Amino acid sequence: MIQFKNVSKIYPNGTHALNDVSINIGKGEFVFMVGSSGAGKSTFLKLIMKEEEPTSGTIIINDTDITNMKRRRVPYLRRTMGIVFQDFRLIDKMTVFDNVAFAMRVIGARPAAVKKRVNYILGLVGLRDKAQNRPAELSGGEQQRVSLARALVNNPSLIIADEPTGNIDPEMSFEIIELLNEINKQGTTIIVVTHEHELVHRFKNRVIEIQGGKIAADSGVPEEKAEVPIEISEEELAKIPDEIAEEIPDVSADEINREALLAIGDEEADE
Amino acid sequence: MRGMGYLFKEGVRSVWNNRMMSAASIGVLASCLLITGMAMLLSFNVRNIVDQMGKDNQITVFLDVSVDEITAVQKIGPEIRRLDNISSCEFYSKDEGIVKWEQELGPLFGELQGTENPLPHAFHVAMVDLSQYDTTVDSIKQVEGVDMITDRSEVAKRLTDLNTLVTQVGLWLVAALGIISLFIISNSVRMTMYSRRFEISIMKSVGATNHFVRTPFVIEGVVLGLISGILSSVIVAFLYEAMISAVKYIVPIEEIPYSDMAFNMTAGFIIFGMIIGAIGALISIGRYLNMEGGEILGW
Repeated sequence: MIQFKNVSKIYPNGTHALNDVSINIGKGEFVFMVGSSGAGKSTFLKLIMKEEEPTSGTIIINDTDITNMKRRRVPYLRRTMGIVFQDFRLIDKMTVFDNVAFAMRVIGARPAAVKKRVNYILGLVGLRDKAQNRPAELSGGEQQRVSLARALVNNPSLIIADEPTGNIDPEMSFEIIELLNEINKQGTTIIVVTHEHELVHRFKNRVIEIQGGKIAADSGVPEEKAEVPIEISEEELAKIPDEIAEEIPDVSADEINREALLAIGDEEADE
Repeated sequence: MRGMGYLFKEGVRSVWNNRMMSAASIGVLASCLLITGMAMLLSFNVRNIVDQMGKDNQITVFLDVSVDEITAVQKIGPEIRRLDNISSCEFYSKDEGIVKWEQELGPLFGELQGTENPLPHAFHVAMVDLSQYDTTVDSIKQVEGVDMITDRSEVAKRLTDLNTLVTQVGLWLVAALGIISLFIISNSVRMTMYSRRFEISIMKSVGATNHFVRTPFVIEGVVLGLISGILSSVIVAFLYEAMISAVKYIVPIEEIPYSDMAFNMTAGFIIFGMIIGAIGALISIGRYLNMEGGEILGW
């Protein structure tokens, strides 16, 4: 899924943010990334999101070398990722529904697909009844769930959460990580940058520690999670209604989170 | 294209959301268009007057007072007609002249009139090509018995100079005001972008293409240009009528009716306004499109 080969990043002001980092994160993994401030965690994420270019080394995402990716291809790379920010980054003047729908609209999704998909995702994060509320009317935990819904709505194969629990109380923090765990169980790769050791210890996931721009420790994939990727039978795949598959914007059939599709299919059947 | 409706709505909405800045932009751009338009209309009219003079290229050739009517008609007239560039040459007797003078001077005429008609006989001569004015006048002056010719070359020259001046000033005005308009529009769009930088950063993080980020702002610029174009074309119609009435009060002129130019002027204003709006927006956007994540938010 994500491969860093001897990656270094030196900023124009001379800061060595990453030094010769090599690491592999497999498809469907859940990784906690820890380290002190200025250790290089944010740079690591920015390199994955192609917000920064490495000074040297190679970065491969989903079998594609993005090191020298053309600028015009970057938006399409980002559509395979969902980003969750510490400060939520929700648009105050928009409702919860519109905040989530925004991520679909800006990549040109059809209104009917937006409506269906956003309602489903809001249900998934437990906020369907708050769809018409404004972010300011929600608690911190709820706002972060909206942010998570927005990250999920385009069906990314990778979720990057940059200190997602930094601005919410501990109870809500567990809720958010639990939600990410559930999403991970459906096959989505998750990278969570955090300072909260309690969270890291409670959820038994791979932990990568960055210090001084180098990988200081890597717990590796816990044994019980070694076989994460889910397999879906041909029969289950056949259950996905064609019209639903067509409604999912800009995601190729094999990239689509099949569990989510099956869930939409079930919902359709219920209606 | 998918999503164009959404982008269009966003662009138009942003004009309303930033209505103070939009009003300022529209005001400045409409003023620029207005000044440019009035300069153009003035130029068209001066050119029209010069053209009219070209068509109405009659000069009066006065003969020596000693030349009698028979000599004038039988000798001098045919001699003038034989010259190059003469389209017509009509005899104008001193009796006709005194009648016209009497009409023009009114009661004063009685005091001035002596026992004899002091006016000379004359010819009204029209030229084929006014640009050969000087050469033709020189040839007529060579004819024996010709005393003087009414010199309209100065008027023609002044009008031509005025036309050149108006055209040049108009061009400079268009250039200067165009740059000012660009600056104002790009600032207006920049303010919109600043107020929406948050959205832009989210758009980029979820994989919106530059086209998607750019389009609403270009539409905003184009809408500002469109409104300015419509507004200025309405105002210029009224202003033109007022200007013509004022000029006519001083000098009798035959103006070009606004209805003859209305379509071209309106279309020109709208297209020019929209182009300025789009370019102004594009200038502002370029900077943001090259930024990433926190950079957009100024972090």
